[in-house]
Amino acid sequence: MPETRRLRVWRIRLLMFLAVIGPGFITANVDNDAGGIYTYSAAGAQFGYLLLWVMIPMTVALVVVQEMSARMGAVTGKGLSDLIREEYGLRVTFFMMVGLVITNFGNVVAEFAGVASSLELFHISRYVSVPVAAVVVWLLVVKGTYKSVEKVFLAASFFYFAYIIAGVLAGPSWKEAFVATFKPPHTGAFRDSSYIYMVIGVVGTTIAPWMQFYLQSSIVEKGITPREYRASRWDVILGCLFTDIVAWFIVVACAATLYVHGIHQIRDGADAAQALRPLAGEYAYILFAAGLFNASLFAASILPISTAYTVCEGLGFESGVGHKFSEAKVFYWLYTLLLIAGGGVILLPNIPLVKISILSQVVNGIVLPFVLIFMLLLINKSELMGKHINGTWFNAIAWATTIIMIGLTIAWFVTGGGGT
Amino acid sequence: MPPLALSDLLGAPVFDSNGATAGKVREVALVPQENASEISGLVVKTRSGDRLLTISSISSINGGVRADTSSTAWTAYSGGEGMLLLARDLLDQQIIDVHGRKVVRVNDVDIHEELGHDHVVLKLGAVDVGPRGAVRRLLKGVVPARALHALLAKIPPRMIPWEFVDLIEVDPARRVKLKISLDRLAQLHPADIADIVEDLAPAEREAIFETLDEEVAAETLEEIDPKMQVSILSSLDSDRAADIVEEMDPDAAADLLGDMPPEATEEILTEMQPEERAEVTELMNFEEDTAAGRMTTDYMALNPGAKVEDAIEMLRNFEGGVESVSTIYIVGDKEKLLGAVPLAKIVLAPPGTPLMMLSTGHMTTVHPGADEKEVAALFDKYNLLTLPVIDDEGALTGVITADDVINMLRAKL
Repeated sequence: MPETRRLRVWRIRLLMFLAVIGPGFITANVDNDAGGIYTYSAAGAQFGYLLLWVMIPMTVALVVVQEMSARMGAVTGKGLSDLIREEYGLRVTFFMMVGLVITNFGNVVAEFAGVASSLELFHISRYVSVPVAAVVVWLLVVKGTYKSVEKVFLAASFFYFAYIIAGVLAGPSWKEAFVATFKPPHTGAFRDSSYIYMVIGVVGTTIAPWMQFYLQSSIVEKGITPREYRASRWDVILGCLFTDIVAWFIVVACAATLYVHGIHQIRDGADAAQALRPLAGEYAYILFAAGLFNASLFAASILPISTAYTVCEGLGFESGVGHKFSEAKVFYWLYTLLLIAGGGVILLPNIPLVKISILSQVVNGIVLPFVLIFMLLLINKSELMGKHINGTWFNAIAWATTIIMIGLTIAWFVTGGGGT
Repeated sequence: MPPLALSDLLGAPVFDSNGATAGKVREVALVPQENASEISGLVVKTRSGDRLLTISSISSINGGVRADTSSTAWTAYSGGEGMLLLARDLLDQQIIDVHGRKVVRVNDVDIHEELGHDHVVLKLGAVDVGPRGAVRRLLKGVVPARALHALLAKIPPRMIPWEFVDLIEVDPARRVKLKISLDRLAQLHPADIADIVEDLAPAEREAIFETLDEEVAAETLEEIDPKMQVSILSSLDSDRAADIVEEMDPDAAADLLGDMPPEATEEILTEMQPEERAEVTELMNFEEDTAAGRMTTDYMALNPGAKVEDAIEMLRNFEGGVESVSTIYIVGDKEKLLGAVPLAKIVLAPPGTPLMMLSTGHMTTVHPGADEKEVAALFDKYNLLTLPVIDDEGALTGVITADDVINMLRAKL
């Protein structure tokens, strides 16, 4: 009897948790995908605590940018690509969409890199795991069963707590970590192109272009109106904080384990899994693989389909899994090709999985300012947003983020990053 | 003459009567109050600001727009009051394709040139929603004009004739000025209108429900997802909302008002006619997932002495939904249910036949508290179209119709 009662209490707690979480929290969780885990891990392994200062300004920027997306969705009731199309015409939208498809394709590749590298820890060949994962994801989404699986993915995202625990158990130098969080690095660090590369990657994985399109569409799809928006805003803010707290702990866990043991380059999942050793000992690889696999599959179920939706809506093609294949050919083909090509890249011989994952996040960071510029232009149009246009501080923070990201990209090229 | 594309007209050079370049075409304007399909003029970007070149001053549009007046005579453009501006209001916007029954995005517009007396006549032919218009706009100025033409000729066009297009304008004042009425949309089946509405943004949905005739609006609202019903109704003024709710099937109206915030429900109810209000409030007292919560009070009932002609007469004046007239009920004192007559029997019987004679011998009824499962089971077992709900005293309180049961079952699929 007490057994079943306890079970019921648990179930109620879980339901309450799931009732609160909304688009903001889901977006945040997908944000910590394979690209995210590898980029944060690599940042900690390569530079120790030296990148932690990015976290606070980045969190502020993330909250501001995500709040803008959610607000635009609630007020206009339209997706970001629709708004760009209606306000800036076909040509601008077309180039934006081409850029987005390329960027998101990189992210899809990273998700399959996550699938491949996590299952290789169990000695499952990528030539098996990647095609199977692609087919499973395709069916999950097209057959409409995704929504019922979403909660499983979300629940499994508790894996991220493993990093928080591992970070604590690793016994990092707390003082050093906190100082590094609040103190910007000396300017000399920015002469190192690999350091700039990593900063762009960390920001790009945290504030990814696809998130802005995805969150805004989710808000629209959920039918959230400006009146109900207050509650959604908290969902968005909490999601952002969760993302970045996890990110902070991944960097710290990796700094306290990999970095101090001289493993500065993460080559594969086995290297990255070492960060969880303080928590799980020799079973660290199981924990890491399970978490990475879940995160990759979760993001792979969302990214390609949301890309297909965004592009088709912006360019005026019929979209939606409710349509037959013959009614929405472009939509289905784009979706299917993203999965096939994304998985296909991973099957190329000798492809460095971790490196390519991080590269995709750096591309996110380079493309981000272009998306931000459109968001800023749109959200300040009073004929669209009425009294919900951006305040001074939001504009200042979002413009600063845009300019800094452009500046970092230029700095990376100037320091010779483009050539390496 | 092949049609002219709006995207080709926009940006085209404009020459005045001296043959000098006066500027470029910035906008193409229509004044729907005067003519809903003929272009009334062009907005020209000149060195001295935007000017309005009326169509009567244009002598030709081949190889640039040629005007037969001097550019100084063109009035300054002042914001386009009462004008439909094709680049702003149509290009890249969503419109309703009434023929295809869906929302589409405009890639380009075909304009037909017709010969007038002394000036050109430009008519809106069709709206391009396919890849041809998109490719034309993407590649214009990038690919040589000749090659582009050859390429475009290979792409099958997807056009919607202008007479099948309904525009969506969210500003009520502009809606009146531009004569945007949604007449064509209103001709569609409410279920199709509902599909279209679900594809739009909230402000556009609101615009549609403000514009549609109350009866059509009510039927459409019933077909929309319950959560969206609430947000649409909340966005409307309470008197407009009340007008629509009055036209709804009472059980659907009760369900909807039950889902609204209490203050909003109160406001709408006070705006409603007393009779409809009484019906709806009564139904709102029942649990939604019981027989009483599913029933409608819009049914036909006659006294035991009634004859077939009385039933026919009542049918003529019946204002409720057609789904509830497939059975006509006979009630005695205190609404006690005595018989039920299928519509088909009434139609086939001679006018003088007493209704009681036509009543089916066995009558299936259900108690107000019965749950959905029980209701569905009865419909299945007895192949019912309607099911009367009777209280403990045997009085008829409402009727459940087959479409309610189908809704209920689909929600569970």
